[in-house]
Amino acid sequence: MFKLALKNILYYKGRSVTTFLLTFISAFFFIVYVAFMDGSHSSMLKNALDVYTGSLQIYQKEYRDKGGYDYLIEENQKVFEILSDIEGIKAYSSRLETFGIASSKKHSAAMMLTGVDFSKEAKLSQLQKALQEGLYDSTGTCLYMGSELAKKLQLTIGDEVSFVGSAIDYSFVAELFKLCGTFKTGMYDFDRQSAFMNRPYFDTIFLSQNSSSYIVSMAEQMSDNDSIAHQISRDLPTDLRVYTWEELMKSMVELMKIDSLFGYISISLFFLVIFFVIMIYGFINVSTRIKEFGILKSIGLSDRDIDRLLFYEIFILTTGALMLATPLGSWLVYYFEIYPIVIPGMSEIYKEYGVVSDEVPTRFEPLTIIWNVLVVFFLNLLSILYPMFYVRSFTPVEAMRHV
Amino acid sequence: MIQLKGVNKYFYQGEPREVHALRDIDLTIEKGEFSVISGTSGCGKTTLLNAIGVLDSISDGEIILDGKEIANLSAEAKTEIRLHEIGFVFQAYNLVPVLTAEENIGLIMRMQGFDDAQISQRVREIATLLQIDDKLDSLPNLLSGGQQQRVAVARAVASKPKIILADEPTANLDSSNSKALMNMMQTLNEKEGVTILFASHDNYVVESVRRIIRLDDGALVT
Repeated sequence: MFKLALKNILYYKGRSVTTFLLTFISAFFFIVYVAFMDGSHSSMLKNALDVYTGSLQIYQKEYRDKGGYDYLIEENQKVFEILSDIEGIKAYSSRLETFGIASSKKHSAAMMLTGVDFSKEAKLSQLQKALQEGLYDSTGTCLYMGSELAKKLQLTIGDEVSFVGSAIDYSFVAELFKLCGTFKTGMYDFDRQSAFMNRPYFDTIFLSQNSSSYIVSMAEQMSDNDSIAHQISRDLPTDLRVYTWEELMKSMVELMKIDSLFGYISISLFFLVIFFVIMIYGFINVSTRIKEFGILKSIGLSDRDIDRLLFYEIFILTTGALMLATPLGSWLVYYFEIYPIVIPGMSEIYKEYGVVSDEVPTRFEPLTIIWNVLVVFFLNLLSILYPMFYVRSFTPVEAMRHV
Repeated sequence: MIQLKGVNKYFYQGEPREVHALRDIDLTIEKGEFSVISGTSGCGKTTLLNAIGVLDSISDGEIILDGKEIANLSAEAKTEIRLHEIGFVFQAYNLVPVLTAEENIGLIMRMQGFDDAQISQRVREIATLLQIDDKLDSLPNLLSGGQQQRVAVARAVASKPKIILADEPTANLDSSNSKALMNMMQTLNEKEGVTILFASHDNYVVESVRRIIRLDDGALVT
């Protein structure tokens, strides 16, 4: 039966070529499309997490809802001890955020000033790598400022900038800083609002020793993140809570889910068209062969044998097309992951989506490719069900008389 | 060997255009017979042949093959009967176009589960007998009508069925090919002991057989 199916494939060339090509194109397109979609999503996430957010953050329970100095973590050292006992954490550090007005000689702007440990941040975030001009690891009154904020305040390296805000006891703070370095992460809002300074001097002027807005950590493997979060939760004091990146980046995760959903809806429509074209071609081919099936039935082939014949035909065509499309699609995806396509200006257009590079990210993920290929495989097999059902509706005599 | 008892066949039963194609057929065909169902066009020859070959259902009556009623079996069981007990030769040859002559002849044996060596030996034996052993590698469309019909006969005979049913096998052949085919069928009947039942209105066929079963408007003429 397998040999007969093979001979039928070679004999009915039109149907075979059409089915083969459509299967090849749909599988190839699906592999590449999903790789680009997943690539852009994982890149957006990676950028967002690597740049600053980290994979886990620990807060005082009320802080994220109410904010302010009343809900700071006041036991940094205790939390650090918990984190140091857990395996799989690459780095951790505390951050204290405060908000105020920054002014140059000509301009003023709202600014989020964060006290950080620059040496720990170098392992935890992309702040050091994002250095655009000047110094990263600054001390004393030095500020490390977002490039867009510096631009807005019309500051250059070495210029003075004043800051007015409040210390954590709500006393008035006014300080004159010096711009020592600028960074550009590519996250536009972040670069337009943020500035960093070394923690020892920050604590001196804001009276914030051993306190933090939150403690951030980064897992060595993102896949271990949930189990690390679970271990931290178990040991944390009851007034603290650990948030995973999915909770911290909820809106971005939902945005990506919606984007994926629309992506899959678009490609489903494409598949629907391909599915019906393959089915229609299969049906037309089967319709022209009704007499042949009548002959086969009359000499003793059962309906099940005919089904098997049709199944083998679509199976051989589909497998052949997928055996070609899978390595080619995988190779292309792998190639683009190593040598991404560069579209100049793309990061500027999509900066609000966290796109920080002009490279189009592609994700080579063998498991994703396998399920992509299986979807095409099963859709093709499904496409032969109706033709099978149609052939079954004929008795041998009716089929042999069919014109 | 084959017994038909009170067989009736209606087309479009219960409708104004109802056709009573077979009328109370009582018939016995013994093992090794070489017979023809004869009659004018539209008298029911093919319908009777299809009924005996369980290709088509009957409206009423019984068809008994070797003591077993076969007309009212399930579709699967009828398929098994056609595969193992009956060989068919059709007017239009009805060869599978993608298979060579050799593969067409061996197709039924392959479906029956014979191994390659057994199939090959039997195919060559029959092909030699029917003088098509030099055409075994050809596809049907490269063979003449006479050669295609011989391949069809070889396919029907190869698996050694109990009976061969041949529906107007000479209708598309010229007289010399018709004679050759009938000679071969006679040889098969004698050498292989195969029961052969034709449906034909070809005078040469009718004159060549030992028993003539006459049909008129669906009824046997005694």
